[in-house]
Amino acid sequence: MDTIKNNSFVKKVGFNRLVLCCVLVLLYIAFAILSPTFLSYSRILSALNYAYFLGFLAFGVTFVIATGGIDFSIGPVMFASALISGQLLTKSGFPVIVCLLVSICVGLLFGVLNGFLVAYGGLPSFITSMAIMQLAKGVGSVFTKTQSVSWPQEWYRNLVKMKIGNTQIPTGLIILLLVAVVLWAILSKTKAGRYILCIGSNKEAVRLSGVNVKKWEMLAYIICGTCAGIAAIFYVGAYTTVQPGLGDTFNNEAIAACVMGGTSMSGGLASVGGSFIGVMVIALLQEGILAMGFQKDYQYVITGIIVIIAVFADIRSRRKKN
Amino acid sequence: MSEVILTMEGIDKSFPGVHALDHVNLEIRKGEVHALMGENGAGKSTLMKVLTGIYTKDSGKIIYEGKEVEYGSPKEAQDAGIVIVHQELNMLGHLSVAQNIFIGREPKKGGLIDDSRMNTEAAKLFEQLKIKIDPKEKMNRLTVGKQQMCEIAKAISHDAKIIVFDEPTAALTETEIQELFKIIRDLRKKQMGIVYISHRMDEINVITDRVTVMRDGAYVGTLITKESTKSDIINMMVGRVIYEEPKTESAISEDAPVVLKVEHLNAGKMVRDVSFSLHKGEILGFSGLMGAGRTETARALFGADKKERGEIYINGQKIEINSPSDAVKHGIGYLSEDRKRFGIVTEKTVAENATLASLDNYLSGMFINKKKENEVTEEYVKQLKIKTPGVDQLVVNLSGGNQQKAVIAKWLIKDCDILIFDEPTRGIDVGAKSEIYHLMSTLAAEGKSIIMISSEMPEILRMSDRIMVMCEGKKTGEIGIEEATQEKIMHLATQRN
Repeated sequence: MDTIKNNSFVKKVGFNRLVLCCVLVLLYIAFAILSPTFLSYSRILSALNYAYFLGFLAFGVTFVIATGGIDFSIGPVMFASALISGQLLTKSGFPVIVCLLVSICVGLLFGVLNGFLVAYGGLPSFITSMAIMQLAKGVGSVFTKTQSVSWPQEWYRNLVKMKIGNTQIPTGLIILLLVAVVLWAILSKTKAGRYILCIGSNKEAVRLSGVNVKKWEMLAYIICGTCAGIAAIFYVGAYTTVQPGLGDTFNNEAIAACVMGGTSMSGGLASVGGSFIGVMVIALLQEGILAMGFQKDYQYVITGIIVIIAVFADIRSRRKKN
Repeated sequence: MSEVILTMEGIDKSFPGVHALDHVNLEIRKGEVHALMGENGAGKSTLMKVLTGIYTKDSGKIIYEGKEVEYGSPKEAQDAGIVIVHQELNMLGHLSVAQNIFIGREPKKGGLIDDSRMNTEAAKLFEQLKIKIDPKEKMNRLTVGKQQMCEIAKAISHDAKIIVFDEPTAALTETEIQELFKIIRDLRKKQMGIVYISHRMDEINVITDRVTVMRDGAYVGTLITKESTKSDIINMMVGRVIYEEPKTESAISEDAPVVLKVEHLNAGKMVRDVSFSLHKGEILGFSGLMGAGRTETARALFGADKKERGEIYINGQKIEINSPSDAVKHGIGYLSEDRKRFGIVTEKTVAENATLASLDNYLSGMFINKKKENEVTEEYVKQLKIKTPGVDQLVVNLSGGNQQKAVIAKWLIKDCDILIFDEPTRGIDVGAKSEIYHLMSTLAAEGKSIIMISSEMPEILRMSDRIMVMCEGKKTGEIGIEEATQEKIMHLATQRN
């Protein structure tokens, strides 16, 4: 085992992430055997639909977890963004592009509020993000007067899936990968990313080195909120209708994807690439369970078990290091 | 003379790398208040921990009430009648006084806790001690002084025959101290043996019968309080032979310019109207006992903690420091005394730690210039002789001494002119220690100005050009290295007005 772990390729990509890739492949094979229809292209596209919005949510919350915090508001913020911008589109006739921008802005604003309370107010992220979650649910609902919103067929659907000739191209995947690369670059190659990771590892040491930690901690929450706003676009692009008051289930799945991918809950260690693979695993699971005829509840059970295993493995590997 | 109740003979205790107790003796009589004194690190707490079963001694004998004993836990010692009243009280604030006193052994009636009996028993204890405390009162509503008296009540409820007080008056007001002394005199009359650990000379004089002094883990001697002077005690506390060469004269000239001037710095109880100056190329030693307020002063100066008042001048110009970023911008660097908690970012590499204070200088546009970062880190790894397989090594894998050097590198890479070293050689082996001393001298010779906080007397005398001494938040004096002696420093370190 150690020789595998010490191999230079393994070290570069990350042992954790390689294991996860293997899990992904094995799951796919397992589902393909259990349900022959699984091998069709449309199944893959269907699974990817789930991965797009969840992916953006997971990328965003990766930054927050990197600072040692947590964000339970991401699902409801995504829905609030979709509801508010959707309402403007369907009831007030705003052009699509404006509504897409509004969606992103709503997410950003929630991120600003969350980040301000945690970084400058010194409030614990656990409680604060739960409060923001409730706020987001409420705001979304109030804005649409408790009505759900159905986004119409418009050009933005092409962001998710585009028909070229006779084939459906998963454009969402391309965009997701591009954003993943950008965010990966920010996290591992910029000053912002360096500070965010160091804050998660030892905030006080960073503060005593003369860094304005409040600013950078807040930035992580702003990135997270903005990603939730972007996620909204991909949610409605795939699933059309959004209802007020929902969204929490996606929190756990996004966070589970992060932890599975190697992002540590205690902060300081994070991987956008890992979160990406984690999201793929969850999306595949989701699709596989549906394909086998089970209800969505089974997915929650399995996700729950995965989170426990992933966090347990994370803590064990930290204990070993110490 | 009254009977001896406790003898600790030839107690020896070592930890990896530290000979904490070296054949220490202690003799306590019934009805005596016996002071245990020594510098920080002399071994007083360790000795008491051996007595009460927190540590196991390596060799020696403990004879209590005529029998040889060895306790495996504080509970065992407590059941036998040996109790410590700690400096930091372990009280459960939201429970009542009576509940705290009887925690773990609550009187029961029919399976349930008998509250009324608990309260009556507690009231009886307070009567014995002649203190007025309501047993039903919530613990966190009492003053620290009254909480301490509850600890004493708890001790005698264990039928204590020996009570050890560890720095009992540190958090008390004058009135509370007098009340405490009344209780102690009362306990003495009841033939209890009392060990009184404290640095406060004036109190030792008033309340104790004998004084035992320890130094560097060894037993130095015992004096009768009435027959000894403060100087006698201080001589015993510090009268060590210093093997390292102390500095004999200041390395800077009389007219060296003042680079840093601090006036009327006030930050809570630990920094009370502190003013001082630092000259270019000087090493200013901050000496004093633990709790004197030296770290708090440095942190207030550095902007790490809020201050109520204080004017700071760098090279004659008044500047505002309200956060560490302000201080760093003005060229001040601070090496905290707790390396692991405040100095290094554990999950990151040597290079990442090294550029943490100056990352803006290592960017190419938006991105971090890894090449430049690695280059500068390697330069300092060589210069400071940091032992690491590479700059990409996780800093947590380095030894203590090398971690410390990595933190120093961070401030040097930032090119700070004023450096505050807080206990720079704590937890570092002898070899690395002398390397750091050499480094500090070189930095000073290059024109950097250093404040060095240290609790090690030999270190203070070896490195400082000038020594500032603090006691309980106040600056008590300043001595040039030419006139400095351990005794003079200790006098100032224990001077409470």
